Amino acid sequence: MKTMNGFLLALTTLLMLCAAAEASERLKMSTTTSTQDSGLLNVLLPPFEKKNDVKVDVIAVGTGQALKIGEAGDVDVVFVHARKLEDKFVADGFGVNRKDVMYNDFVIIGPKGDPAGIAKARTAAEALKMIAARGASFISRGDKSGTHVKEKELWKAAGVEPKGGWYIEAGQGMGPVITMATERRAYTLADRGTYNAFKGQKTDLAILFQGEKGLFNAYGVIAVNPKRFPHVKYDLAMKFIDYVTGPEGQKIIAGYKAHGEPVFFIYRK
Amino acid sequence: MTCCVLRSACCVQIAVSHAARSAQHGLMNFFSESLHTAFGLISARDPDVVNAVTVSIVVSLWSTLFAALAGIPAGVVIGVAEFPGKRAAVTLLNTLMALPTVVVGLFVYSIISRQGPLGTFGLLFTPHAMVIGQTILAIPIMANFTMSTIKGADPRIVPTALTLGAGPFGSVRRLVIELRFGIMAAIIAGFGRVIAEVGVAMMLGGNIRGYTRTMTTAIAMETGKGEFALGLALGIILMAVALIANLFLNILQQK
Amino acid sequence: MAPLYQLDRIRKNYGNREALAIDELTIQPGRCYTLTGPNGSGKSTLLQILAFLAPPTAGRLLFCGEAVVWENGPLLRLRRQVTLLHQAPYLFSTSVQANVAFGLKTRGITGTEQRLLVDEALETVQLAGFQKRKAQELSGGEAQRVAMARALALRPKVLLLDEPLANVDGKSTELLEEVIVSLPARGTSVIITTHDPEHRQRFGTDRIHLVAGRPAAPPQPAILHKGETADAHL
Repeated sequence: MKTMNGFLLALTTLLMLCAAAEASERLKMSTTTSTQDSGLLNVLLPPFEKKNDVKVDVIAVGTGQALKIGEAGDVDVVFVHARKLEDKFVADGFGVNRKDVMYNDFVIIGPKGDPAGIAKARTAAEALKMIAARGASFISRGDKSGTHVKEKELWKAAGVEPKGGWYIEAGQGMGPVITMATERRAYTLADRGTYNAFKGQKTDLAILFQGEKGLFNAYGVIAVNPKRFPHVKYDLAMKFIDYVTGPEGQKIIAGYKAHGEPVFFIYRK
Repeated sequence: MTCCVLRSACCVQIAVSHAARSAQHGLMNFFSESLHTAFGLISARDPDVVNAVTVSIVVSLWSTLFAALAGIPAGVVIGVAEFPGKRAAVTLLNTLMALPTVVVGLFVYSIISRQGPLGTFGLLFTPHAMVIGQTILAIPIMANFTMSTIKGADPRIVPTALTLGAGPFGSVRRLVIELRFGIMAAIIAGFGRVIAEVGVAMMLGGNIRGYTRTMTTAIAMETGKGEFALGLALGIILMAVALIANLFLNILQQK
Repeated sequence: MAPLYQLDRIRKNYGNREALAIDELTIQPGRCYTLTGPNGSGKSTLLQILAFLAPPTAGRLLFCGEAVVWENGPLLRLRRQVTLLHQAPYLFSTSVQANVAFGLKTRGITGTEQRLLVDEALETVQLAGFQKRKAQELSGGEAQRVAMARALALRPKVLLLDEPLANVDGKSTELLEEVIVSLPARGTSVIITTHDPEHRQRFGTDRIHLVAGRPAAPPQPAILHKGETADAHL
């Protein structure tokens, strides 16, 4: 019994110590995995946190889910990349003050041999049409992320209903999907930032189609509507939006490089 | 939400096959690289790793404590008392043991989200939320282990206490003290389940760096980023942490 | 003075099997009874009932003239006057001291008083100085003696013994026999089950013999000892 009591005492003390460690204000942000996995947030957030004595809690999920979390009022700000869904989010009254932050682009990657010959395609839609016609393996995110939304737009433009054994819906994030495509020797649509982080060591897939206007990938930041959710930290969220769209944040974004290459681009004003 | 977790489970398989297939990265190479990374992270006291270990341990300890306060008495009552519906209670307990962590996660999520009945407390994506979910996860395991310990107990214990003048409560108290090793095993099993689980931690904690990122959610995330060696290195550290925790409890037992 | 126990149409069934069927039995205080009978004749079942540990399926039991109510509250008070010692007693996994003190603690006896009673009980079974030993590390005979000390420390009105000498070495047997025989004079009535006819003779002349759960006349020994009286008060 004595040892039990001693154990409980030690445990309680330890737990008390740990509980005491919590302090400054927290801003909750749901975002897409690419902002976190690219490493951008690791350099973008600390100056803001320091200046305002705040901790930014990043919940990195697919864009669709990030917006859903915002619709439930479980975060203060969202930072995503699917313009149509973002506009709907604002129109439905869940968010206010949407601002453009940065952009990069999507690329279609696949095995270097390019079995469907999409390198010769003139548009992304045509490239997808060729993959479908050839029945070459294609991995879809299948998770309602910004990338998935873009992919569905492209299939629509191609006039193809993707179906069959060659079309694999992964239901996973960008990283796992690139890994899966590498293993299965398949094509996939990827954002350039994540692909850059993978290329070389983690994947031998190559960019086979790029540079079309339709592959533009824009990131926006939105404050969750305080009229709808009175508990959200709206002032802090606005400070954050001003920061990432202001000169200091924009400079950090433009200067951020992974493997020596820029990942995101800012809008020239 | 579910996909986060499926994602991580799937990726481990991918990681293994990836390592096995790469010609220049044999499986042994992959593993030794992970070991090397693990020792590197530990010796450098990498702040992210230290944070994740701390969050894992603190959240798991709280969950274990609360789950023990609920699960052990429940297991004792079901083990000792005869009441109508006891069979049903045992079956329910066994079923709850098989409860997938994502289901517990979803259930708690729906309750503590701002849209849920307990939304005003703003618990979602905090360590508190993880403690709630993991406590629910650990209660059935602890209750079940306690119950089996009681079932397998020496049948002479309670009558001996009774004939020496202990009341019904006193005799059950003595029974629990006599079974302290079995009950400690129940606590260890509960701790093992919560420190190793990823579903609840990911869904309710949100994998927030330095706040709710645990060893397991960090492994899931690094795997997703294709950092298989780093993921496995974190797995090795998790094993080491679990080993130390169990050694500590073992030493307590032998006293 | 009221009899110690009076049994009135007591029945104990396990499922369909009738383990005990005693229409009438009276046990007097201040004596040492031997309880005999073949294996499975209901001896242990009877002791369980007399120790108030298991209620009979039917019938009425009087203890010191008072009808026993088989509910937790009254039972606790009754159990504190009767102690059952099993043939393979369970010692709690703690020290000898804590084992012997267990019953005293439940009765609110603590501190010096408790310590003195524990010391005295251990001396009676010749285990003085064993207080700090771990109960699990004792030999079979020592364990049986500690269990005896644990019961004696409570100075119960009745001590029920279920084959207490079955698994015990010679020295401990002798010692325990002496202690048991001396108990009625110290105010503790004894009911003891045994297979060994020699013990029966040492423990005295009062005898209850069970066959198939019912009281019966004991088998006649070849030679009747002088002064042997009728066994139970049927």
